[in-house]
Amino acid sequence: MIATIVRKEFLTNLVSPRFAIGFVLCLVLIPFSILINVSSYRERTAQYRVDRDAAEKAAAEVRVYSRLRPEVVLPPEPLSVFGKGISDQVGNRVRIWLGDKPLLAAGKTAAGDNPFLASFVSVDFVEVAAIIFSLLALIFSYDAFTREKEDGTLKLVMSNPVGRSTALAGKLLGILTTLLPVLVFSFLLGAVLILLARDVAFPAVDWGRIALLFALSLIYLAVFVFIGLLVSARSRSSVTSLVMCLFLWVLLVFIIPVVAASFAGGFVRIDSRDNLERVLRDLDTERDDKIKQAFKAQGIPEGWSCWWCMSDRDGMMEVYGNSRADFEMFRRRAMTSEPIRLEYADKRWASQKAYLDSLARQARAAERLSFVSPTGVFRTVAAAVCRTDLAAHGRLMDGARRYRETFISWLQGKNIFASFAWLTPADPAAFLTDDQLVEKRTGGEFKTSRDYEAWAEKQTDWRARWGKLNQAKLRGDSPDDFPFLDLSDMPRFQDRSGTLLSGLGSTAVDVGLLLVEAVLLFYLGFVAFIRFDVR
Amino acid sequence: MFRVVLKREILHNLYSLRFLIALALVIVVFAAGAITFAKSHAADLEQYRQIQGQFLENMRELAARNATELAVRRQTYSLKPRANAFIADAKDRHLPNAVEFSAWNVFSFQNKSGSANPFLRRSDELSWAFITALIVSFIALLFTFDAVSGEKESKTLALSLANPVSRGTLLAGKLASAVLSVMAIVMAGALTSLVAVLVLGPGDSTAALAAEVPGFLAVAALLAATFAAFGLLASVVARSSNVSLLIALAVWLAFAVAVPNSSIFVAKTFFPIESSEAVQKNVTAAFDDLSKNAPPGSWSMNSGEPFLPQHELRANLQMKRLLAEKGIRDAYYQAMFRQFERTRLLTAVSPVALFDYLTEAVAGGGYLRFRKAWDDLHVYQGQLLGFFKALDAADKDSPHWYNPNENVSTTRKPVAFERVPQFEERPLALADRVGPALKYLIINVFLLSAVYFLAFIAFVRYDVR
Repeated sequence: MIATIVRKEFLTNLVSPRFAIGFVLCLVLIPFSILINVSSYRERTAQYRVDRDAAEKAAAEVRVYSRLRPEVVLPPEPLSVFGKGISDQVGNRVRIWLGDKPLLAAGKTAAGDNPFLASFVSVDFVEVAAIIFSLLALIFSYDAFTREKEDGTLKLVMSNPVGRSTALAGKLLGILTTLLPVLVFSFLLGAVLILLARDVAFPAVDWGRIALLFALSLIYLAVFVFIGLLVSARSRSSVTSLVMCLFLWVLLVFIIPVVAASFAGGFVRIDSRDNLERVLRDLDTERDDKIKQAFKAQGIPEGWSCWWCMSDRDGMMEVYGNSRADFEMFRRRAMTSEPIRLEYADKRWASQKAYLDSLARQARAAERLSFVSPTGVFRTVAAAVCRTDLAAHGRLMDGARRYRETFISWLQGKNIFASFAWLTPADPAAFLTDDQLVEKRTGGEFKTSRDYEAWAEKQTDWRARWGKLNQAKLRGDSPDDFPFLDLSDMPRFQDRSGTLLSGLGSTAVDVGLLLVEAVLLFYLGFVAFIRFDVR
Repeated sequence: MFRVVLKREILHNLYSLRFLIALALVIVVFAAGAITFAKSHAADLEQYRQIQGQFLENMRELAARNATELAVRRQTYSLKPRANAFIADAKDRHLPNAVEFSAWNVFSFQNKSGSANPFLRRSDELSWAFITALIVSFIALLFTFDAVSGEKESKTLALSLANPVSRGTLLAGKLASAVLSVMAIVMAGALTSLVAVLVLGPGDSTAALAAEVPGFLAVAALLAATFAAFGLLASVVARSSNVSLLIALAVWLAFAVAVPNSSIFVAKTFFPIESSEAVQKNVTAAFDDLSKNAPPGSWSMNSGEPFLPQHELRANLQMKRLLAEKGIRDAYYQAMFRQFERTRLLTAVSPVALFDYLTEAVAGGGYLRFRKAWDDLHVYQGQLLGFFKALDAADKDSPHWYNPNENVSTTRKPVAFERVPQFEERPLALADRVGPALKYLIINVFLLSAVYFLAFIAFVRYDVR
């Protein structure tokens, strides 16, 4: 009996215009979203290659360890083609500093080069699925009972030896068997488009994740079918039921997520970025004072002069052509200052962490509030499945922070702050004294640096003074005399690619919520239909 | 006769379930939006006061040091949170909202980090514009999708037309009644929101609100009319109200979801601009070129001795560098503006996008406001430069070699902060709002007329039996 009902429902739905229009909607909107996101993925991949090459080049072309600041460039997530989550709002580059732990990733966001484009938004497959599947589910279920009641066929059906639960199950299966092909078709369409896009390659695990996404969509679809059935069983006429369903749809799919984000924005405030910057500036001043104090305590002179040097922020220092005493002074400076710098990175992190936590708290609050609507749950879980949610980003950033620790331990393992290699590639055994340097540079004209200083004091033209020192080219006076560092043993950042279910543990609860919602709605619909007056 | 039709249609709408649900929904959402706005705007204002205080403090410090420091140091001016953002947020949070300038140039703009939470999934703000764009367009379709096909099904259409009423009048009556019913809902919501904001908000609303609210309502009516026309069209092309509903929903999805969401794709595909890396490369190349061709000694500097002859060379070189970079960057900014405006024009096929751009003009926010502030800052920068040059000319201890980047060869006298010209952002004048919005208005009116005309033609040929 139930097979007959299912078959009848299925055929009725199949020939109805709503099936055709729903199909066309999927046919238009799904490729639209996939193509837009493939193009955005392609663009981010190109940017990733540029950034990665630049980072590799910068890391390879250093001659001293103090200039080494590796940059982690995160590749775009292939699954973002389906659900982009927050992946195009956060950057993709993390520079590893000694005096600072990675806070937020840098790099281009969805707007790319033009910041004004940030005023536009764009959808992805998950978003389109959330809109279309819910709409289709409601469109097919809103008149499940009311239409037949109006046509008078419900009475006829019920006059057969068939229980209400059988009738309901038949209806339900009929609707699901109609919608399932649409759902399968949508996913197949998406998959085909991905396969056709040459530059998007999914590993096997990711296809498994698409399957998870499909299962999730099925639950989501079912929830809305149950909502439609419930409304239909509680309504007097099809028109009432339709109006109710459409308003529910707009409310659940469009309004509640925005209201949730708005409430989170208004009531769960994020810390002020300017305040954070101020605190960090103060800490930097404190650190610089502390370094100065330490220099003073150790009798290291404040200023320095050198033959060829390059100093930059975060304690970068590259020195060439100095005397042994000067090199030793630079070495002692680094030995003193760099541990303090590392220590202050931890102090800075306390404030930075508080700021990051406030950002995450707001985002989570918005997420939790949006759970009022099944769409909110669907979006959240889908982003987790696509590895583009906040948790996935947090894992990457944690990885970058861990990499910084590894990198620093590697430096410390070489006892590098106390080594000359920190600031010069020159061989310490070949360091010369001031007098030897002057003698060689002036081609033997002055034997000691004191002689030269005495002569130089009498000169008014500084160019003549320098000219004397440039008479003989000395090997080791300029960076070009040295090769780049061999960094083959430097630790590299590794993004451990996950298994099928990795990172989805926390979303199990959310899926559970969706399932409970589905069961509850089904039960309510069932009860309502049992009490439904078929006359 | 038109009035009879109108009255009948309006009453029909007012008593319908959809009207009641829409009214309740709109009022609740408007109220929720007003409450969150009041809450977050107060906090934003507080934060802005701190930033502005620091900006002035910094300027005062520079002025006390000396006039050249004041002229060459780059300062960042931040835009104030808009008091009428509850009408249309115009994506202010995501657009550039800070401008870096000195007396010599307006350098760049940026979206201050911390304006938007990057971890919070991007979504619209709960402003009038958003609620209206979403709900009004939807309700307008709901009120009209069965206007003709529904009446046909209930067999009243033939009866109506049996009266001495022309088809045009009937259709116009249906359109007008849908717009009026929808506007009644919007006005109820707007009133709720207005009261809530005035009571709960930080009280920085201006008198301009008295013009902005009616302006908003007018634009909302245009949106409602456009969608009502689409609804009528859907209603007359389909035989049954079910089909017309589906057509209406498809139209709505296309306009409210598909078109606005394709904007970034459209911008990057049809109007690509140079990458920022390439521009940076150009700037570096120009700098290298200038340094290479500069006379020897151009880089010499002794800040203790302003009249050192090499300082003139240095000042010349720095000035050339500034102008070279300004030329490249300003051209790039123009390319950005063009890309953005063309994208807007292309996406203006959607009434929802049009409504977005029109409400931005009504509220005087978003891109329009930024462009105005950007242009005004250029004027202010000219004033500041004139002021500095006058100070320098009056100083006999200055060599008058203008160096836009460093404090070397111009006046070293402090200047009273009170005398320094200050930038004051002025709200957009009527002409500034109407001018850019005019093309969108024309497109919208054209769209409305075209769709209504199509609906009229179809209705005239409609078989009412």
